[in-house]
Amino acid sequence: MAHLIPSSTVTRTAFALQTTPQVNEPELIARVLAGDRLAGRELYNAHAPRVFRLAYRLTGDAELAREFTQDTFVRAFQRLADFRGDAAFSTWIHRITITVVANAMRKVRRLRERETDLADLDALHPVHSSARRLDPDLRERLAKAIDALPEIYRITLIMHDMEGYTHTEIADVLGVAEGTCKSRLSAARAQLRAALADFAKEYES
Amino acid sequence: MTDGNDRVDDLLRDALRSYNTPPGDREIPLDDMWGSIEAQAFPGRRRTPRYAHWFSLAAALVIGVGIGRLSLVRGHEATAGAPLTPPATVAERPSATAELPAQQLDPATSRYLGQAAALLIALPAEANVGRPDQPFMKRANELLLTTRLLLDSQSGSDPAMRNLLEDLELVLVQVVRLEKEREPSRRTEMELIQQALDQRDVIPRLRSAASEYAADD
Repeated sequence: MAHLIPSSTVTRTAFALQTTPQVNEPELIARVLAGDRLAGRELYNAHAPRVFRLAYRLTGDAELAREFTQDTFVRAFQRLADFRGDAAFSTWIHRITITVVANAMRKVRRLRERETDLADLDALHPVHSSARRLDPDLRERLAKAIDALPEIYRITLIMHDMEGYTHTEIADVLGVAEGTCKSRLSAARAQLRAALADFAKEYES
Repeated sequence: MTDGNDRVDDLLRDALRSYNTPPGDREIPLDDMWGSIEAQAFPGRRRTPRYAHWFSLAAALVIGVGIGRLSLVRGHEATAGAPLTPPATVAERPSATAELPAQQLDPATSRYLGQAAALLIALPAEANVGRPDQPFMKRANELLLTTRLLLDSQSGSDPAMRNLLEDLELVLVQVVRLEKEREPSRRTEMELIQQALDQRDVIPRLRSAASEYAADD
């Protein structure tokens, strides 16, 4: 199973991501460090759409995605002096995104666990978007199957199969070997296929 | 068995396609998010009061645009060894970029349009806390020069692009003037700029044009 999403969809996303930053980033970063907020805006313009999309995929909630995107860039600008340019700026800012989202979602889930009946498994998963409520049966169950994946598998699956990141990019962002990234993706798909097999039987009957 | 596998693959495809689908890029609230980011990451600007002197500023603005364009045209003509007379039409004006193929201009034009949009979006925050800083004004001057060069290039021969560049030139001249203005004139100038931006939809048009040039790239 190479690609489950039509390649045109993923390719379009990946192409857009590659062509968005038409800026001289080292120069922009130097200007931001000198206090130039316009340079900050240019750097933000080049990366914010991709960061927001990833945060949205991981949380399923527009407000949380917005909040986490803001947190990501505030942290990035405040720590920009620590960025040494060993990796690409996009890799660095996506690392921050994953950290911000993962840490915050732990708190969100803990809060929801306290507020909600423990029997309600929704509390253990990301917030559900209004789009999903429109289709409460199959789509909801499919989404829950993805939510139920171990978090590191879910992140890898979202980044690769939904947002079009390459294995190299994911490995850089998560700080793992490419082989690890591939095996996680394979495991995620296998778990998902197993979970969806039951749905398929019901769907056919 | 194969049918069962195909069914699972179909379901998985649906699941991946519909899972937490984010909004399109144009629907992402970039400006709203930037407001919060800017306040936290670039804090500490002073605030100043406001007054108004509309008429004299508007007159000075018209004169400023005229002088700027004439200087640019004369500079080109002097370089080419031509007599210092105003050209009959825009298309006949010589330019540093006029002879470049459109394909070579597109990436740079897209970048320039994006930078102009970024500068104008940042302008209210800059002006609300006092005189815009040196890097901001330097960038505004550079963009004004580029705008005038583009007006004299192939890009300026396209009616829609020309219209946009002329509106942008008008706004940038006002922005550049902010550096020399004192309160209360600066506040008045800012109000004029904001009016021009709103009435002529300059920022949305810049973004749209930048996307088109990037897509053509």
